[in-house]
Amino acid sequence: MNNPREITRVLFENFQPQAIHLFYAIGYAAIAIFIYGVYVQIRKYRRGKPDGSWGELLHRFIDMVKTMATHRTLVRRDKSAGRAHGLIFLGFVLLFIGTSVITLEYDILQPLFGVQFWYGNFYLLFSLVLDLAGLGLIVGLIYMMYRRKWLNLPKLDYKRVDRQEGDPDFDRSQYRREDWAFLWSFILIGVTGFILEATRLVWLSGRPTVWDYRMWSPVGALLAHVMQAVGLTAEGAGSLRSGLWWFHGLISLTFIAFIPYTKIKHIFTAAASLMFKDPLAGKRLPRIPDEQKTAGYKTITDLTWKNLLHLDACTKCGRCQEACPANAVGAPLSPRDVILSLREFANHALSAKELPKEAELDIHGKDIGQVFMETLWSCRTCLACVEICPVAVEHVPIIVQMRRNLVEAGEMEPLLEKTLQTIHKTGNSFGESKRKRAAWTKELPFEIKDARTEPVDVLWFVGDYASFDPRNQKVTQSFARLLHKAGVNFGLLFESELNAGNDVRRVGEEGLYELLASSNIGTIQACEFNSIVTTDPHSFNTIRNEYPDFGGKFEIEHYTTMVKQLIEGGQIKLKKKLDYRVTFHDPCHLGRYNKGYDAPRDVLKLLGCELVEMGRNRDNSFCCGAGGGRIWIPDPVGTEKPSANRMKEAGVIEGLQVFVVSCPKDLTMFEDALKTSGFEGKFIVRELIELIDECIEYEVWEDIPLTV
Amino acid sequence: MKILVAVKQVATLDEDFEIRANGSDVEEDFLLYDLNEWDDFSLEEAMKIKESSDVEIEVVVVSIGPDRVDESLRKCLAKGADRAIRVWDDAIEGSDAIAIGRILAAVAQKEAPDMVFAGVQSSDQAYASTGISTAAYLDWPHAAVVADLQYKPGSGSAVIRRELEGGMLQEVEINCPAVLTIQLGINKPRYASLRGIKQAAAKPIEEVSLADVGLTGADVGADSSMSRVRRMYIPAKGRAQMIEGTIAEQAARLIQIINEFKGA
Repeated sequence: MNNPREITRVLFENFQPQAIHLFYAIGYAAIAIFIYGVYVQIRKYRRGKPDGSWGELLHRFIDMVKTMATHRTLVRRDKSAGRAHGLIFLGFVLLFIGTSVITLEYDILQPLFGVQFWYGNFYLLFSLVLDLAGLGLIVGLIYMMYRRKWLNLPKLDYKRVDRQEGDPDFDRSQYRREDWAFLWSFILIGVTGFILEATRLVWLSGRPTVWDYRMWSPVGALLAHVMQAVGLTAEGAGSLRSGLWWFHGLISLTFIAFIPYTKIKHIFTAAASLMFKDPLAGKRLPRIPDEQKTAGYKTITDLTWKNLLHLDACTKCGRCQEACPANAVGAPLSPRDVILSLREFANHALSAKELPKEAELDIHGKDIGQVFMETLWSCRTCLACVEICPVAVEHVPIIVQMRRNLVEAGEMEPLLEKTLQTIHKTGNSFGESKRKRAAWTKELPFEIKDARTEPVDVLWFVGDYASFDPRNQKVTQSFARLLHKAGVNFGLLFESELNAGNDVRRVGEEGLYELLASSNIGTIQACEFNSIVTTDPHSFNTIRNEYPDFGGKFEIEHYTTMVKQLIEGGQIKLKKKLDYRVTFHDPCHLGRYNKGYDAPRDVLKLLGCELVEMGRNRDNSFCCGAGGGRIWIPDPVGTEKPSANRMKEAGVIEGLQVFVVSCPKDLTMFEDALKTSGFEGKFIVRELIELIDECIEYEVWEDIPLTV
Repeated sequence: MKILVAVKQVATLDEDFEIRANGSDVEEDFLLYDLNEWDDFSLEEAMKIKESSDVEIEVVVVSIGPDRVDESLRKCLAKGADRAIRVWDDAIEGSDAIAIGRILAAVAQKEAPDMVFAGVQSSDQAYASTGISTAAYLDWPHAAVVADLQYKPGSGSAVIRRELEGGMLQEVEINCPAVLTIQLGINKPRYASLRGIKQAAAKPIEEVSLADVGLTGADVGADSSMSRVRRMYIPAKGRAQMIEGTIAEQAARLIQIINEFKGA
């Protein structure tokens, strides 16, 4: 039996002292370069504005570790890449720990305290684990190479949608070169590690404390046997080893030194980005401090350190671009490009010792690195990008902050400008008289209470589209009948209700938003009620998530939740079942924004409908194109609208009868798209309320027949 | 260097409005107020001169009207005007465009600007004479319906293009100081963000009385005006009618109407 003390890692055997000193010198230099890089990065982040995300650090840290350990966000919508990354991640972490433990013993514990533990069974077990880790790493890297070379994924094409061929920053080929350099150097480190291990085994094949235990490093042992089989001698292996040793050591140290300067930094930045993730990002946009003169982001130094960190976290995986409705219809926007543009801008402007002049920090414009106004106005603020980002980059808040600056400068579509002025003047986007807000109630066979003058149980916040759009008014009336029939004690704000401001805020007109929000909050607070209900997901989102920042904390439900309870509780009796084959479109502001995926589906089931999902559903739902104020901006002629793209997706469902929505804007957008994209007569678009309505028997109620 | 921009808060009608019992005007409750559309353009023209000039230029907006007008003046301040003046006295009530011109001229004499801009007309009353009467009281050169302006601050004259009928333009050289009434479309007015308007609340609006500009109640009001509103009313509906039915029926009905009209 060998002495366990002798079964240990062979480190600097046969090295001249000078060689060891040289190696240490190079090692320290690598670490110094690494530390300087980290310093430059941190200095860059510190040039951003403050951000208050330091709360609950421990909680954030645990969340981050969980996300990283499970790779939960990485496997979404790209399982193979996520798993391959998992192998690389695990391999890297284990090998890093292994190497650190050797350093801990050899350079710290042994020389200082004479403590040694790197031998015997512990060593052997570690050796096995590290061998498997190395194998996983290489397998993962090979998959990634295969994926880049042969899968031709559009999301891995970095060509920019907002620039023209021939523009200096159009093809972003330097990123492709960096990706390959990264993959090759990483895989080279892994492969040379194994060859090195194998040559060491061959070289020391005469030493029982090494050779007898070779199977604890199975990959190395296998290679060693191959080497022996092709005739490598112990001496030959020994001389091969010293060359390989230096090669492996040097690329490993170079790799470490390069971390802060290359995409490898995502090891740290992605982790930190996940840690500082805002669960309400985009759902609750940041307020502008009262004392702040300017609005939004004009220069790169207007971004917070957290924004700057997010920019650096991006690994260009392209999931955001794939999910983006604007990108899908050829608009000059890719969320990734916005992030990368700003990152390049920040790296260029904020990495030097001295900050450049103010004028050189402007992130708006047509120059290299600047973000086009057309790009920013293409965004629908549907949050698909923020939702899918595996490293918690928050694109939409940055885009809205930049829009705030465009709004201040008046750089927007004339029609949008007009709409904002109209909303300011009349309190609604239709330019209708305040007095007409509740005109739809006149056709009802009963009176609706005025929540401003008498207490009600449920306060119904109707919203602009449901109030003024003639098609939606029918739905609004149906919902009123439904509430009435169910015996709900409800009331309206009548002409005191103003546009809730959700989309005004997402346009970037923060001053107008503040005006609308505070007026509505004042009106609502003066009423006596228990909870608010709305059929409008946009109003729902801002009242639920954003009004609290302005002092308006209210209980609010989207109607789908309430109706589900009313049916289940028996207050609404369904007199018949529907046998329609339907599909359901998740409104962004109900689904992704507020996780209201289930209630509308449950209601559809209760109605007896057969629900067939579209490919993009729930968190991956595809925006109708109306969000972020885009309903007030005409889409360019000749390009496909997101709503038409969605119709095509629904069109492939065999035997589809009804395309169900639960948002007033969706009804408008999709009924229009149904006609323009040629599906008229094949299926119809209906609000969920209209389907429920079919199943209720009213005493006085003229049925709108459903025709397919 | 100073440019005086005369602006007006105009009324737009809410739907289903009612006319005052005495028939003089629409019931105040049914009016929505906003800055006159033309004034957006004249203020923008002044701001453009200010922003492209090397010399310091003060843009002063002036309006005549009660407290509510402050809101519109604040919008002008938000767009970049340096000062705002509001002239009011109950005696001014009932003044016509000529009497308003008299007040504006008095303000201009006190302010001594290098240029006075006004909108071609107001969208509610559409007299198109306030600017010109101001010029008359000042006895300054004037040009109406200005669609283009070439003016170097401090120079003794400006070259303007006036819009005439039938798409014609008339190029005119005019001595300064002058009064120009600015036409829509001369520029692209900037957007006044709500934050800007809110921040402009900090800028003071000078409230000026008639006495401050050397006038008395006798100079203004209905009695000193050359015209008075006798009554306002909604004219009887015209005879337009929708023709219903199939195309053939519609055509037959149309022929019948034409024949009736011809007296056949």
